[in-house]
Amino acid sequence: MATTETHSPNPAGTQVVVASSRFKTLISNQQFILLIVWILMVIGFSLINHIFFSVGVAENILLDWAPLVLIAVGELIVIISGGIDLSVGAIVGFTGVISAFAMRSLYEGSLAEQPYLVLAIGVLVCVIVGLLVGLINSLLINYAKLVPFIATLVTLGACSGMALVFTKGAPVMGGPREAIALSPAWIGPFSRPVLIVVVVVLILWAFVHKARFGRYTFAIGSNSFAARAAGINVKRHVTKVYMLSGLMAGLAGFFFYLRLGSGAPTSGLGNELDAIAAVVIGGAALTGGVGRVSGTVLGALILTTVTSGLIISGVDPQWKRVVVAALIAIAATLQALRKTEGGAS
Amino acid sequence: MSGEVLYEVRNLTKRYGAVVALDDASMKLHAGEIVGLVGDNGAGKSTLVKCLSGAHQPTSGQILLDDVERNWHSPHDAIQAGVETLYQDSGLAPHLSVSANVFLGRELVKPGILGKMGFLSQKQMDVQAHRDLEEVGIAVPASGRSVSQLSGGQRQAVAIGRAVAWASKVIILDEPTNHLGARQAGEVLNVMLEAKAKGLGVIFISHTLPHVLQVTDRVVVLRLGKVVKDAPTSEFDAESLLGTITGLKIG
Repeated sequence: MATTETHSPNPAGTQVVVASSRFKTLISNQQFILLIVWILMVIGFSLINHIFFSVGVAENILLDWAPLVLIAVGELIVIISGGIDLSVGAIVGFTGVISAFAMRSLYEGSLAEQPYLVLAIGVLVCVIVGLLVGLINSLLINYAKLVPFIATLVTLGACSGMALVFTKGAPVMGGPREAIALSPAWIGPFSRPVLIVVVVVLILWAFVHKARFGRYTFAIGSNSFAARAAGINVKRHVTKVYMLSGLMAGLAGFFFYLRLGSGAPTSGLGNELDAIAAVVIGGAALTGGVGRVSGTVLGALILTTVTSGLIISGVDPQWKRVVVAALIAIAATLQALRKTEGGAS
Repeated sequence: MSGEVLYEVRNLTKRYGAVVALDDASMKLHAGEIVGLVGDNGAGKSTLVKCLSGAHQPTSGQILLDDVERNWHSPHDAIQAGVETLYQDSGLAPHLSVSANVFLGRELVKPGILGKMGFLSQKQMDVQAHRDLEEVGIAVPASGRSVSQLSGGQRQAVAIGRAVAWASKVIILDEPTNHLGARQAGEVLNVMLEAKAKGLGVIFISHTLPHVLQVTDRVVVLRLGKVVKDAPTSEFDAESLLGTITGLKIG
């Protein structure tokens, strides 16, 4: 009725507009750009060294990618809600250590004959400890009124510190040896734990983009005042968001345990920065309200591909940091450019 | 024109520490009535709105809806009871689509187990949002567009349409015509008359006195937290209303 300005009376002209705007949407679609970037990377690294294009390398990339994507999707949800979670890396090490202690005492004690039950309990311990740290984060934010940066910096320090104190810095061994055996059951380049990670990420994608949980998360990150005015219980939702992030970090903690066969206090060191990098490269805005799970998945894939590619190309892998920094700069610039054009994600 | 008393505050006082923002204020709103709430900055308008919408709790006094005393603990309580509030400039989530905003907090979900898990029925919401907005006389662009792509006037129209579509009893509009051009402001005023015709009670907070005089049935004037005047709009003209607001009697 009054949308007259967009309805051109000239059908041919309209068609041209539609076609060009479709092209514009495609090139301004961050996921599409990321996919192209990733494919170019794979081609480039394969040209430098043909070994790169092999199942073995793909396996390794996926093994690095799986725990990172777990943490990064949790981080993404926090960032969409307008917050930040610096504690995820520390939670990885902390949950790994606590569950390693639990599994060792069970395995050396009453459950020596049931290694898989011990491992299941290990997962449960990681999940519970992760949820608890997330709960503490949300209490600090909702009730102690700390900004998320400070609240999660507090738990980062507490968790990484305790992990080192409890273990005196050494990995916690003595759990079921079956842990190592779980990984090399490959379906193509996917090991069983990696497949589970893929399923977890798909479930989260559905809840973030198709369900009320995600709708509220975006609403709070976009305008928390409006969300509250619409009757959303913002504090309760923020609690869910940080607990979910803690849970994901706990799962990543268990993933590292499976890979290493021990609980290492330093296993998640700096992971929060990789997770934030994956989220930003994936097109999310640190100001909240914007982000896609698919973007973060690709962001994490690009990060791990760069690392493997540089090693195989014979470049000092420390260059990874520089490459990642450049990627973040490009992603953030694209984000800013799109914002000034007035279009949202 | 006005029916029975719909929404009422009696002797409402709100203190923030030592500051008395609202001092023993009383007012009534009838069904099918538009009441203008005016006053200078700091007169207590926003505080009264926040108490009426459930965002803040009064220090003392009563709030009655349909003659029943209510203690709103959160905006959610007031919304559930049929009281919708549109806050100044901040009613919408800019990153969400038009229909997501219209349905924010009361999303339609899919049937069955998926719905129990909170999975959304987006198509249904898109269609219904469009229909709801059209019903209150608002022409909006496609429901799927993000609010950040709309003009200021369109955003305000969506926000008001949303409030009118959902309110079953009372709508509180805080400066809804701010930053709008004359034509868009006129549309907003029409939506208010539409709401009134539906039998809703409307509280209209504004600094733009011509708008207040144009659509309201009654005007309540606040000054320094107190209700200093509560009279039919016909008793005011622009000059006398301004005089009452500032406390400088003219004529």
